[in-house]
Amino acid sequence: MTATTEPILEVSGLVKHYPLTRGVLFKRQVGAVRAVDGVDFTLGTGETLGIVGESGCGKSTVAKLLCNLERPTAGSIRFKGEDITRLSGRALKAVRRNIQMVFQDPYTSLNPRMTVGDIVGEPYDIHPEAAPKGDRRRRVRELLDVVGLDPDYVNRYPHQFSGGQRQRIGIARGLALRPEIIVADEPVSALDVSVQAQVINLLARLQSEFGLSYVFIAHDLSIVRHISDRVAVMYLGRIVETGRDTEIYDHPTHPYTQALLSAVPVPDPAAREHRERIILTGDVPSPTDIPSGCRFRTRCWKAQERCAREVPALAVPAAFHDTSGPAAHASACHFAEERQVVPPEEPQLHGNGPG
Amino acid sequence: MLLDVRDLRVEFRTRDGVAYAVNGVSYGVDAGETLAVLGESGSGKSVTAQAVMGILDTPPGRITGGRILFRGRDLLTLKEEERRRIRGAGMAMIFQDALSALNPVMTVGDQLGEMFVVHRGMSRKDARARAVELMDRVRIPAAAQRVRDYPHQFSGGMRQRIMIAMALALEPALIIADEPTTALDVTVQAQVMDLLAELQREYRMALILITHDLGVVADVADRIAVMYAGRIVESAPVHDIYRAPAHPYTRGLLDSVPRLDQKGRQLYAISGLPPNLTRIPPGCSFHPRCPLARDVCRTDDPPLYGVDDGRSSACHFWRECLHDRDH
Repeated sequence: MTATTEPILEVSGLVKHYPLTRGVLFKRQVGAVRAVDGVDFTLGTGETLGIVGESGCGKSTVAKLLCNLERPTAGSIRFKGEDITRLSGRALKAVRRNIQMVFQDPYTSLNPRMTVGDIVGEPYDIHPEAAPKGDRRRRVRELLDVVGLDPDYVNRYPHQFSGGQRQRIGIARGLALRPEIIVADEPVSALDVSVQAQVINLLARLQSEFGLSYVFIAHDLSIVRHISDRVAVMYLGRIVETGRDTEIYDHPTHPYTQALLSAVPVPDPAAREHRERIILTGDVPSPTDIPSGCRFRTRCWKAQERCAREVPALAVPAAFHDTSGPAAHASACHFAEERQVVPPEEPQLHGNGPG
Repeated sequence: MLLDVRDLRVEFRTRDGVAYAVNGVSYGVDAGETLAVLGESGSGKSVTAQAVMGILDTPPGRITGGRILFRGRDLLTLKEEERRRIRGAGMAMIFQDALSALNPVMTVGDQLGEMFVVHRGMSRKDARARAVELMDRVRIPAAAQRVRDYPHQFSGGMRQRIMIAMALALEPALIIADEPTTALDVTVQAQVMDLLAELQREYRMALILITHDLGVVADVADRIAVMYAGRIVESAPVHDIYRAPAHPYTRGLLDSVPRLDQKGRQLYAISGLPPNLTRIPPGCSFHPRCPLARDVCRTDDPPLYGVDDGRSSACHFWRECLHDRDH
């Protein structure tokens, strides 16, 4: 999973607003749900970018935009240098072949009336050039084998499979067109713990086997750390902090990331005595009514007047400009400072939490 | 012992035959103690809790054996009328999905107040005042105004607080929380678990926490019972089980979760799938997935062996498992 410097995907200024309208005959726009509100990132070839955030932060909308299932309000998505947001017709279809999606819910994302063979082979109906007609059956059996299912199951229906097996079917379908990028939106969150590990290991194996690049979207920070090379933390439609996995997990500088990490339960009862918890107050504001300045300020214990006025840019904070350590990574906070919240090997004493 | 479940058995009649959901479960919990019941879907952890609460769907469910002693009385011998009095006042339950557990066409104030009207014979006005108090207690901002709101007007975390308020209303001795934070975001989950732990200390309640999340268990539990295919396979104080599991299933679970503080390459994955409850394998039900399985495991159902003080494991080879932590 070593990434090359060549980005396969470059996202800049990505915005998706859903208009809110009032009136039946004379519709007028009264506002907008700002689901994605200015997102930039790159994905290297063979790399895994993890996007984490809580519900409503816009991470699934980003997934849909990447796969061209939604058109952005503004911004660009460059696949190998070409902006795919303006494409249509044949060119769009060609790009879609290369960016495939794996969905969260293996129960609703598979058509219950189609056999497994038809589900996995369906992409070939849309892209007949990917596999000659006579060859499809063989390809489908091969794909089932690749994801660890018995190829003899081609004629079975989804309900005959368990959740983990269904997710494998979804992954096989995603692989059918030999894409270069897989966008996986919460691919294991509907699965039991013991089955989760099987699917995560499968995804890791497929990546090295086929040289895939992954955008891995999840709310579970432990899983994201496990699978990702780089991580982006989203809050209310924006990335608030991004960096390599150790930079984010061991040296977070954005208060939201710190709160998020400190809230994750660690399966180690010995950690509970020396662990610092940052309990945030209140709920995430509505994406129709985003706070001015820094959008996290309404829940932030460090917020000051400046935070309401100035939108913090996602860049290496000035305080870390002169250092080259792991704390020097992009963080959208005026008062970014390093704080270790995930317990290290050796227990350390910290200052008082914010309450 | 406040609650003492002994050799409980529950079956369900399904189209595919009889599903043996609970097959001889025994556990107990004392006042002020937190017992975590850990298991994956279909392990019988929720069904056991439903049997204790007396809210099992019968039919298709049926309790075929065992006793449920609450303050020394066997609940299974009581009349429905008596059980209803115990539900709410003696024990209460918190469900995973607050939105479907709350009545969507009643204000939260009326739902909370109903507890006092029905169980305590209070007037509507007094009940309303108590509802506001409770909402304050679970830290819902502006409780006096929000008492008139409907469940859909609250966020997920706030709804879960209302569920907790409802469970607390009559100050029960025992609370059973079935995946109380699974549907919540991680920062909200931390808020809710904090609140629950604080209230438990304050009221000295016994808490049975049903969950699949090894992290949540490590954070709050005193003791753990791990369930698999309708049985308890390991039971131990929380520190012991994480340090040295005495059952291969527990060990597999611990090794299969990615950790926030560790970046591993390959996760250990328990092979295969949990058994179909209509066709539980003979012998040890875990043997088809077990790395330690031998002939005896395929024929002899292991009893719960005493491992240590307060520890037990349903594995013929628990000694080996205990000393084989580094594989």
